[in-house]
Amino acid sequence: MSTNGQNPIEKQKQRGEPMGTDQKVNILLVDDQPAKLLSYEAILGELGENLIKAASGTEALEHLLKNNIAVVLTDVSMPGIDGFQLADMMRQHPRFQKTAILFISAIHLSDVDRIKGYERGAVDYISVPVVPEVLRAKVSVFAELHRKRLELEHLNRELEQRVADRTEELRERADLLDLASEAIMVRDMDGRLRFWNSGAEALYGWKREEIVGRNIHEVLATKFPVPFGKIELSLRETGRWEGNLMQRTRDGQEITVACRKALKTDKAGSPLAILEISRDMTATLRAEQGLRNAEKLAAMGRVAGIIAHEINNPLEAILNIFHLLRGHISLDAEAQEYSQMAEQELLRVAHIVKHTLSFYREAQQPVAVSVSEALDNVIELQFRNIQLQGVSLEKRYRTEATVQGFPGELRQVFMNLIGNAIQAMPKGGRLRVSAREHVDSRTGNKGVTVSVCDTGYGVKPEHAKQLFEPFFTTKSTKGTGLGLWISKGIIQKYDGSIQFRTFHHPNGPTTCFRVLIPGQVSAERLNAHIAYSASR
Amino acid sequence: MEAIPDERKLVILCVDDEQIALLVRQRVLEKAGYEVIPANSVDQALEILAARSVDLILTDLLMPGKTGDELANEAKVRCPETPVVVISGVNEKPEGLSARLFLNKLEGPAYLCEKLREVLLESEKLHLSGRQNPTVSACVPGTH
Repeated sequence: MSTNGQNPIEKQKQRGEPMGTDQKVNILLVDDQPAKLLSYEAILGELGENLIKAASGTEALEHLLKNNIAVVLTDVSMPGIDGFQLADMMRQHPRFQKTAILFISAIHLSDVDRIKGYERGAVDYISVPVVPEVLRAKVSVFAELHRKRLELEHLNRELEQRVADRTEELRERADLLDLASEAIMVRDMDGRLRFWNSGAEALYGWKREEIVGRNIHEVLATKFPVPFGKIELSLRETGRWEGNLMQRTRDGQEITVACRKALKTDKAGSPLAILEISRDMTATLRAEQGLRNAEKLAAMGRVAGIIAHEINNPLEAILNIFHLLRGHISLDAEAQEYSQMAEQELLRVAHIVKHTLSFYREAQQPVAVSVSEALDNVIELQFRNIQLQGVSLEKRYRTEATVQGFPGELRQVFMNLIGNAIQAMPKGGRLRVSAREHVDSRTGNKGVTVSVCDTGYGVKPEHAKQLFEPFFTTKSTKGTGLGLWISKGIIQKYDGSIQFRTFHHPNGPTTCFRVLIPGQVSAERLNAHIAYSASR
Repeated sequence: MEAIPDERKLVILCVDDEQIALLVRQRVLEKAGYEVIPANSVDQALEILAARSVDLILTDLLMPGKTGDELANEAKVRCPETPVVVISGVNEKPEGLSARLFLNKLEGPAYLCEKLREVLLESEKLHLSGRQNPTVSACVPGTH
């Protein structure tokens, strides 16, 4: 496939190079006698070629060097350089080795023998007296021979150029294939891999030499979105198929790729191979999912804010009313009691609304918060519950470090984790709260890791994924389902992370929540209004 | 909160667009020993301020028409001595609020009275020593 559709001859014309068939060739006539030169000129004139005359061997050599000579017609016996010497000199020069030489000679036996000595190249002789037709015929044959040779040489050069061009083109194409970040592969109709580019090596972790020849979809554990028969049908009918595939990389990671397949057939239409180009979509899909979650959560956050505000107004009025009712002289003892109970319950509602439907921020600027102090505050608040439920508490603070943040927010996170842990152990158990310094292995930044472990119910595997989602609760009517969601939102705002694990022992599970809080976070980020940020 | 041992009752201008909320807040404050002038809007509050002086302004934040913060700004010009406390159902204190103090409505009446007392003490409107005539700057436009 040439990049331009020209044939070589057209190309030659454009380049202005001499051409074989319709180009005049140069014929050099060498004789010391001007009359003979004239007669040769007359005889050969009708051939229509260029005739160049030389009166001596020396002059002939000059012409040879200057012009491209097709045929040399030379007298054998000349003063100075004779015909044979001229021929010898020409044969020694690479440029003239193939130039045809036609000797004109009286028939001496010695001459004929010498002429026969020039076995290589086009050499002939003509005896005197010269028969014009014979001379014309012989020169014409040599001229034609020269023309054909020129033509062949041109064709050859052209061919070499085309081969070079094509090689370069292929090399570029191969470079391009390797430049592509997509995985590009070719497999035969039995599924065996034949081509595998660098993009594929990078995506799947398999080296070309390891995987070529193997059944590709077996190695990659490909899961097709539709039955394979449908893909084959589409390939046969339209030559194309595209869709998302689930595959495994060499290290066992599951990835999703957007795959385009094309069927390659031979001229008769029977399938030869399948070309596949796959792009890794895993990160994109994950990001899209994250974005959808973020949007969902942001919308939820806005709704929560509005609800909180709308509830807060009447709630304040009722709180005030019960405050006024308390100790009102017209109430008897029973009514007093009811009123007090109502006020207590109301305070609980106010507390829930304040702590779950939106963040309460007491400081305008983040401050250095002592993690151990914040933990102790929370434990103090929960101490009664810890005692009531017979929970044994173990504190392990191995750091005095502080983190930049809002104490209320951090206390809210710890309150949530510790509260959950205690609630998970209604019949007692062990609660371990620990804090230690954390150094990010990548950035070297310091932070604090807080772990809250309990020996309670444990987290059921089927709940694990939903644990941090809003309105998910395992405490039925007791929980709002917002605690961990809010905690995660807060921790993410601090650029930290929150994770949990359940360890199974013969005497029951241990559940550990671990929160990582970086020591320094930009105040801008902490003040970000989108408090309900989603997974990033 | 106990009644204030001053002979003259301190005057609080209480602003809220919600009738019931305003009424019960007024009663709570009265029970705590203050004289309360209720206002349903910022404009009404400004009219009252033009006519007389008060010791403290307690206002809701988000109301139809002007907001509590606009009232705080206006009061700063008209009677810079008078502290303004914003009470709101919004949990987070908005950025750049000019009021002296921001309170959450859900903190409850006891907390409210305690905080108001603190603000009054701080602004020297309230003197536990029992001064008869506390200096009250006139709250008339242009006199500052």
